[in-house]
Amino acid sequence: MFVVRQGMAHADCPIPLKDKIIQCETPVCHGTAKIFLEALLVAVIGATFAFGANLISPRGLALTRNYFPAGISRPVPAARDITSTNSPATSPAQLLAAQLQQQGLQSVDGRQAEQLFHDPRFQQGSIVFIDARDEQHYQEGHIPGACEFDPYYPEKYFSTALPVCQAAEQIVIYCNGGDCDDSESATILLRDVGIANRKLFIYTGGIPEWITNGLPVEIGGRNSGNLRSAIK
Amino acid sequence: MNTSSSSWNCTVADIFAVLARWSVGAVFLYLGLNKALHPVEFLKMVRQYDLVQSSLLLNSIAAALPWFEIFCGLLLLAGVAVRGTAVMLIVMLVPFTVLVFRRALAIQSALAIPFCAVKFDCGCGNGEEFICRKLLENFLLIALSIWLLAGCGRRLCLRHTLMSCAAKTSPIGAGLK
Repeated sequence: MFVVRQGMAHADCPIPLKDKIIQCETPVCHGTAKIFLEALLVAVIGATFAFGANLISPRGLALTRNYFPAGISRPVPAARDITSTNSPATSPAQLLAAQLQQQGLQSVDGRQAEQLFHDPRFQQGSIVFIDARDEQHYQEGHIPGACEFDPYYPEKYFSTALPVCQAAEQIVIYCNGGDCDDSESATILLRDVGIANRKLFIYTGGIPEWITNGLPVEIGGRNSGNLRSAIK
Repeated sequence: MNTSSSSWNCTVADIFAVLARWSVGAVFLYLGLNKALHPVEFLKMVRQYDLVQSSLLLNSIAAALPWFEIFCGLLLLAGVAVRGTAVMLIVMLVPFTVLVFRRALAIQSALAIPFCAVKFDCGCGNGEEFICRKLLENFLLIALSIWLLAGCGRRLCLRHTLMSCAAKTSPIGAGLK
C-alpha cells in the first residue's frame, strides 16, 4: 500500500507551473515513484501475458528444452566468412569438420554427399538424407528423397524419421551450411534417441552447396517427384 | 504570447504526441508479431548475442520478449498506462541498442568495412538491415518514448495513467465499505 497526500487531485492539485513538464499538458499529479510503479505493473502484467501467450501459441518455445545441444555460445557469423579468403588449409569447411570431430561427430563434404546420393544403396534405403531445416524451407526445395526433421520440433518428426534412420546404414544430415548448426542439433538428437553415431554424417556444405553444384532438388513433400535441376 | 496562440500550439503538440504514441505502438506491435510468429528464428538471433549461458534463460528471453513487445504496442495504441509503458520501452531499447552496436562493431572489425556498410539481421524483427539505419530507428524510438514519458499523448487515451490521482485522493479506505 502507498499513501497519497491530500491535495493532489488531477484537475485541481496545486502543483506549481514549473513542475509541468510539457506546457500543453493539464496539471497532472506526477511523481517519479508513481511512474515507476506503473512501469512495474506493466512489466508484471506484460510478463504474465508474454509467458501465457507463449504457452498457448502452437509455435511457442519449450522453456526447459535445450535447443542447442552442441552449445549455446556462437561465434560472430562473419568470422567464418572471413576465413574463406584464407588458405585452403583453414577453409571454413575444414574448420567446421575439425569442430565437429571435436564433438565426436562425423562430416561429409559436397563430393562425398554427391557420391552417396548416386550410390545404389540410396535407392534401397540404406543411405538416407535428413533435412534439418524448417518445414517452409523443406517444402521450397530439399535433396530428393530427404526426410524432414526439424530439430526444434522433434516430436513432430520422430514418427516418420526414426524408422527411416533405424533402417539405414548411413545417414546424411544437412541444413543451410555455413553458420547453420541445425544439422548438428539434429544429429545429436538422433544420437540421443539411439541411432548409432557411426551411421550419422553431417553434410557441412548443406543445401546451398548442393544447389551450387548443380544437383537436383525436390519441391514439396518427400518423394513428390517434383524435381528441379539447379543450374550450375 | 496570447491565449489563442498558446492553445493552437497545444493542439498541434497534442496531435503530434498522439501520432507519436500510435507510431511507437504500431512499430512495437509489428516487430513483436514478426518475432512471435517465428520464435525459433528469434531464439537463434538471441543466441548470437551470447547474453546467457543457460538454456532456460535463453528460451525465456526468446519466448517472452516478442509477446511483451506486442503487449506494450497494444497498450500504447489504446493509450493505457502510457508513461509506465514508455519506461519499459526505454528499459528495453537502450540495452538492445548497445548490444546491436557492439555486434556491429565486431562484424565491422572482422570484415574490415566501413561501419555504416555493416548489414546484418539483429533479431529486431525486420530482417537484415544496415546498422546506421537501425541505430537511427532505435534513437528515434527512444526519443519518442522519452517524450511520451514526459506526459505527452494524453488525447484519445483509454486510461493514460493507471493510478489516477482522483482515485487516490479519496479518503483511504473509502472504497472498502
